[in-house]
Amino acid sequence: MTTARRAASTRRALDWAVVRRRLGRVALYAVLVSGCLVTLLPFLWMILASFKSSSEIIRIPPTLWPEKPTLASYQTILNDPKLPLGRFYLNSLIVAGSQVLMILFTSSLAGFVLAKYQFFGKGALFGFILATMMIPGQVTMIPGYLMLARLGLIDSLWGLIVPSAVSAFGIFLMKQFIEGLPSELLDAARIDGASEWGIYWRIVLAQVGPALATLGILTFMGSWNSYLWPLIVITTHERRTLPIVLTWYSSVHGGRTDLTMAAGVLVVIPILIVYTFIQRWIVQGISMTGFK
Amino acid sequence: MSAFVQGVQRRWRRALSGPNRAKSLFVGSALTPLMLYMLFWTLLPAIWAVVLVFFKYSATRSGGSILGLGGDNPYIGLGHFQNMLSDSLEAQKFRISLKNTLIFAFLVLPLNLAITIPLAVAIEAVQQRLKTAFRFVYFLPTLTASVGVAIMWGYLYHPQQGLFNMVLKALGGSPKIWLTDPREALLGVPLAMWAIIFAYLWQDMGYNLIIFIAALQGVPQEFKEAAVVDGANTWQIFWRITLPLLQPTLLFVCVMTMLSSFQVFDIFQIMTGGGPKDYTRVLVLDIYLNAFRFQRMGWAGAVSMILFLIVLVVTVVQMRLLRTRWEY
Repeated sequence: MTTARRAASTRRALDWAVVRRRLGRVALYAVLVSGCLVTLLPFLWMILASFKSSSEIIRIPPTLWPEKPTLASYQTILNDPKLPLGRFYLNSLIVAGSQVLMILFTSSLAGFVLAKYQFFGKGALFGFILATMMIPGQVTMIPGYLMLARLGLIDSLWGLIVPSAVSAFGIFLMKQFIEGLPSELLDAARIDGASEWGIYWRIVLAQVGPALATLGILTFMGSWNSYLWPLIVITTHERRTLPIVLTWYSSVHGGRTDLTMAAGVLVVIPILIVYTFIQRWIVQGISMTGFK
Repeated sequence: MSAFVQGVQRRWRRALSGPNRAKSLFVGSALTPLMLYMLFWTLLPAIWAVVLVFFKYSATRSGGSILGLGGDNPYIGLGHFQNMLSDSLEAQKFRISLKNTLIFAFLVLPLNLAITIPLAVAIEAVQQRLKTAFRFVYFLPTLTASVGVAIMWGYLYHPQQGLFNMVLKALGGSPKIWLTDPREALLGVPLAMWAIIFAYLWQDMGYNLIIFIAALQGVPQEFKEAAVVDGANTWQIFWRITLPLLQPTLLFVCVMTMLSSFQVFDIFQIMTGGGPKDYTRVLVLDIYLNAFRFQRMGWAGAVSMILFLIVLVVTVVQMRLLRTRWEY
């Protein structure tokens, strides 16, 4: 083989490699984009349905795109005296907000003490906290309900808030973080005359912002989406949280898919928009902790 | 005994005097309320749950003086667990629920991995800005409350108005009654179960996707480059390098996916309520219905203990396996 021919064949091989790589890229993007479409489809189908009229939605075969987009179902929902959405948003916010504040406080405090102080029984205590993480919520659900009943907290938002002020996972997470803080920092503050509570409040809390944000967001999401516990505890309509209200509404208006889907949009989409802005934190939190 | 008391006293005195006094007071004042809280809201319910298992208990009967146990809520020893093996109606329902939960968990796990691992590798291969965009879209369902997921998918599966039947008809197939037809089955698994599995997968894959993407970013680039120099192709790199290095993550993901699919409730309760013919009745749904619909709290507690045992076994197996050989 002459040098020229060998060079030509090498070039052809290279060209072929380039083409193959390009084709691979195109296939990759095609798969990823169609996967995105599949992922978005349920949202889209719900949003489109919410703009259909009550007569269009029951038409067979169903239309894909609303023929005459209308806000009628939204108007019906927002004017429904049985569905004061603001009230339910407030309920969910009160519960999630209180849980977040309490869990952030208790987790950072306990995490700080367990990370930076030596005391008798510390190992056993931490072991106990870790062990409680293994108990599924469904096991303590029945006695938890009986306890609430005895304390008169059934059917009140307190029943959703009070039992979840401490999180073993939160304590564990904060302990891991605070162990990374240099102890010299705390000693320096002690020499400057800071009290132990002052150190916790001014130094530790100021240093663990990212961990607090992660824990806060994960706690908020868990509380906001929580379904089983509020389903058991709350019986009065006005005290329901958003997930419970949505299923209640869809079962009451079973035949009116247009209304159900508009209610779904009003409950699901706003919080997704909020999450969009803090998604970086959520992703970081999940990949860091593996928490569900 | 008195030596022990003296020892404790000495400890206290030492802790509360001298330079450590402030620290000890802080530890005490910070931890005491927290521990009391945990004893009351975590340990007490756990013990109560264990005790409840030995009683035929219902909150509607007043029963004895201690926690309403005894009297009309009689002690029956291991009666509930013996009952689980009997032919009684609740035992049959329990066994169906256990079976359905196992089917669900063991179908969800491989399907989830079969979607999320290739997807994570694909997303990892695109350029940074697009990567963020793709990850964002694929993560949206995970952020959605399972109630929202159930409502949306219930509509997709709607026999007359749903998208799936519309597509089926367009392709020349006959429409299906996805969520309520007891006769339809695929590979021996009822259609309604498949329908929920796919809704659940749609919602749940975002978590594992994110964890896998994070793990893939941790695979040292030099390893892949070295393999390329040695003439390995993309497949070989994936099977021989990436996948083995992902092993710890894979194990963790398997366990987390298992645990959460054993504890699934929301989507089943909303989409089918356990039907048709209990084909989608899962353990937590069984516990919920028994405890809060039929007022059989002792029985429901016994079923929840079985769930606890399963969770415990999965967790212990995880701990054993997680002592991994791979370090990088």
